[in-house]
Amino acid sequence: MAMNKQALEYVDSHADKFKNQLKELLSIPSVSTLVEHQADCERAAEWLAADMRRIGFDTVEVIHTKWHPVVFAEWMGAGADAPTVLVYCHYDVQPAEMSDGWHTPPFEPTERDGKVFARGAIDSKSNVMAQLKAAEAVIKTGTAPVNIKLMFEGDEESASENMTTFVAQYADRLKCDVAIICDGSMADREQPDIAYGLRGVVTMELEVHGPKQDLHSGHFGGTVHNPIQALAEIISQLHNADGSVNVAGFYDDVLPLDDEERAELAKPLPWIQTEWADVAAAPGVWGEPNYNLHERIGARPTLEINGIRGGFAGDGFKTVLPGMALAKISCRLVPNQTSQVIYERLRDAIAAITPRTVTAELRLIEIGEPALIDRHSPAVEAARSAYTQVWGKEPHFVREGGSIPVVVDLQKALDAQLVLMSFGYKGCAAHGPNEHVYLDMWYKGMAITIQFYEELSKGMKQA
Amino acid sequence: MTQAHDYVKTNFEQFKGQLFDLLRIPSISTSAEHAGDVQQAAKWLVADLERIGMHIVEIIPTGRHPIVYAEWTSAGADAKTILIYGHYDVQPALRSDGWLSEPFEPVERDGFIYARGSSDDKGQVFAHIKAVEALLANGGKAPVNIKFLIEGEEEIGSTHLAEFVASHTEKLAVDVCIISDSGMPTPDQPSIVYALRGLTTLEVEVFGPATDLHSGTFGGSVHNPVQALAEIIAQLHNPDGSVAVPGFYDDVIPLSDEERTELRKTGMTDEVWRQTTGAPKPWGEPGYVTHERTGARPTLEINGMAGGYFEPGFKTVLPAKAWAKISCRLVANQDPEVIGGLVRDYIMNISPATVRTEVLVVRGAPAAFVDIRTPEMKAAISAYEQGWGRKPVFMREGGSIPVVGDFQKELGAPVILMGFGLNDDGAHSPNEHFMVEMFRKGINTAIYFYEAIGAGELHYDNRS
Repeated sequence: MAMNKQALEYVDSHADKFKNQLKELLSIPSVSTLVEHQADCERAAEWLAADMRRIGFDTVEVIHTKWHPVVFAEWMGAGADAPTVLVYCHYDVQPAEMSDGWHTPPFEPTERDGKVFARGAIDSKSNVMAQLKAAEAVIKTGTAPVNIKLMFEGDEESASENMTTFVAQYADRLKCDVAIICDGSMADREQPDIAYGLRGVVTMELEVHGPKQDLHSGHFGGTVHNPIQALAEIISQLHNADGSVNVAGFYDDVLPLDDEERAELAKPLPWIQTEWADVAAAPGVWGEPNYNLHERIGARPTLEINGIRGGFAGDGFKTVLPGMALAKISCRLVPNQTSQVIYERLRDAIAAITPRTVTAELRLIEIGEPALIDRHSPAVEAARSAYTQVWGKEPHFVREGGSIPVVVDLQKALDAQLVLMSFGYKGCAAHGPNEHVYLDMWYKGMAITIQFYEELSKGMKQA
Repeated sequence: MTQAHDYVKTNFEQFKGQLFDLLRIPSISTSAEHAGDVQQAAKWLVADLERIGMHIVEIIPTGRHPIVYAEWTSAGADAKTILIYGHYDVQPALRSDGWLSEPFEPVERDGFIYARGSSDDKGQVFAHIKAVEALLANGGKAPVNIKFLIEGEEEIGSTHLAEFVASHTEKLAVDVCIISDSGMPTPDQPSIVYALRGLTTLEVEVFGPATDLHSGTFGGSVHNPVQALAEIIAQLHNPDGSVAVPGFYDDVIPLSDEERTELRKTGMTDEVWRQTTGAPKPWGEPGYVTHERTGARPTLEINGMAGGYFEPGFKTVLPAKAWAKISCRLVANQDPEVIGGLVRDYIMNISPATVRTEVLVVRGAPAAFVDIRTPEMKAAISAYEQGWGRKPVFMREGGSIPVVGDFQKELGAPVILMGFGLNDDGAHSPNEHFMVEMFRKGINTAIYFYEAIGAGELHYDNRS
């Protein structure tokens, strides 16, 4: 099959330069969930815009939103007859502290054994840079068979709150034939996969109040329902003993899996099991009965306690009876479930089990709906072909456990075929300490993108 | 009214100013970064004890925070000797916990001094120092020999005190020990604590995945350690509020009808409970009233819990671990080590195989009782009658003062728990306060007590 040799050679001859640019971007702590990093997010956006201008995009804009900016660029040099591809990635990252267990500072990228360690290495600055450098390669060598629009957002880790409005407002400028959503990672180091299903996410805070303030546990202990205990009692009732979620109506709207899809999902299972053992490495597997590991993390909804806090958490001991306790809870949702409905069902379930000796409130924080993509569309077919050529083997199709809120927005606003792409390996500690990216997989990502453009223009011409 | 009481009257404003100085030092013993402040508070006390005329004043280093020790023995070899115990360390406090004023910038509002440590225990121990000052001022003499033992580790469980007491029994040889580190139900009704609960503290850690995970990537396939810990904690109590740990109540001596009748007289009313706690509804072990629940029954309390991401904002993490700090208040005949072991074994037993759980029994002190028929207790009753104009009532106290047992055992001396605080002073809580009037009455009552002990005319009450 025809390859874009010039563009691929351009990548080869710029490999070191690209790597240094990746490290430069990784050294900007663009943490979108913390206000004190707002300026860093701006700085990352400006850094990307400057690179886009150098590459030669026709228009480059840093578009300010309510929160962090979107970086948008257009190159329409392939002409009106050529297909137009919109590429979505995000440049913001999760918080990271050395004290979380990092071996090297999270915002000082360190290269070891063919990997680069830094917050954002896998999620998702390597995706940003693979897309940007693939575009550079085809534009600079004058071989681009498609028009390219780039849209890099800065709020993904804070649930893409602005993207719904942004995508609707800019729908005209985002107009395209195919949209690539490049985020996430692959289940195996040696076997490529393409995701076609994404879970949604709804995040919530549960606050339990007991006494009006912290009390001396000697003076009042035994007469006041301890809010931490009450919160623990509530949390312990949210799952059944078998691991399924114990909230009335929680599974009601879930679309059942058919046999064909279950067979497809069983293919990558061995790799997912190995990865679970390597990365999660918990004492035992846990979860909803009658579903395999792939289905539990990709095709089934979950309820997770992301954090809890109450009472004295410092060194030593404070024999306090705390006034309140707080839990952060999120649910991952699958197609046909909606955030608002799940929030309401959980709120009602908690209200029903909250003892009258305390008060409890469940607040809705952020929502993101689940998405399912047609895995037989021409664009996904072009991606399958590109992955097969670069990797020398057919990709598996997977349901991704994570959430990319913008997918739903793009599905709604654009009349385009969607493709989910990812290049890195899932065992690279996204959101955890010592996050990293394999450089060989990252370079393959550029080659896949370049080849995808070739396949796409060929396919569109045939159509 | 003696010369000493006149001195208190004349110098009271100055005493208050000095107490403010002591309260300004954030001598928080629980956190390492305040070790220097704890040291500074010890030095401040040393200077004051020297100034009031104590003969020997020492700062005695321990493994962590020093003990302040002082002696005045000019009452002579025939006179009785009193040991006054208190502590100068305090609990942590942050303005953001809900304080209306800075916790370490004392202010007086409506007759109360607001500051961390004002009631627990700087204000109470300082009342004794000022009582001794009043007696020794202007070449005066005290009717008893006086020893001060003021520690800096009470809030971290008196880690080094037991060992110090056991190895210095000669230095600490006394006829009576007095501890002012407790509260009364109301300012008008003095009370003497005759029973304290013991304490066992535990730390529980639950480990799940090897590292924090992305909850999207792995959620639904890993038993979340925060959830697992919540499930464990939820099983520590029965739905009726009693502790579910097998054997937890086995060694508790049942209350007699007579004691229950007595306790119902003095206990916190439900109305006071409601006002002080602000909690929606009473809770606790069935079959016992509020005062029995806090004073006469053992409890298991979750003092702190944390896991995952709990800062502002959201991090959809599947945490690698979660931990909780748990304490049990114990009553007479319960052994802190036995109870610690029972709780640990039960937690290990109910911990699911999908996580790994570790339990550390940190430390313990048994419950303590004071004989209320001793001559020293009669001296205390008489002192309260003079200081308050009212007979004190006897109360059980829910809190724990581990050193009581050590004094009884090692020094063979009776211990008097002469509290000058109020139960709703907010010890360990935001806006801790100490009533100015309690400070004044405390100083005067301490003087009456030393005088009554010095007079030595009281006898043991053999009536049962």
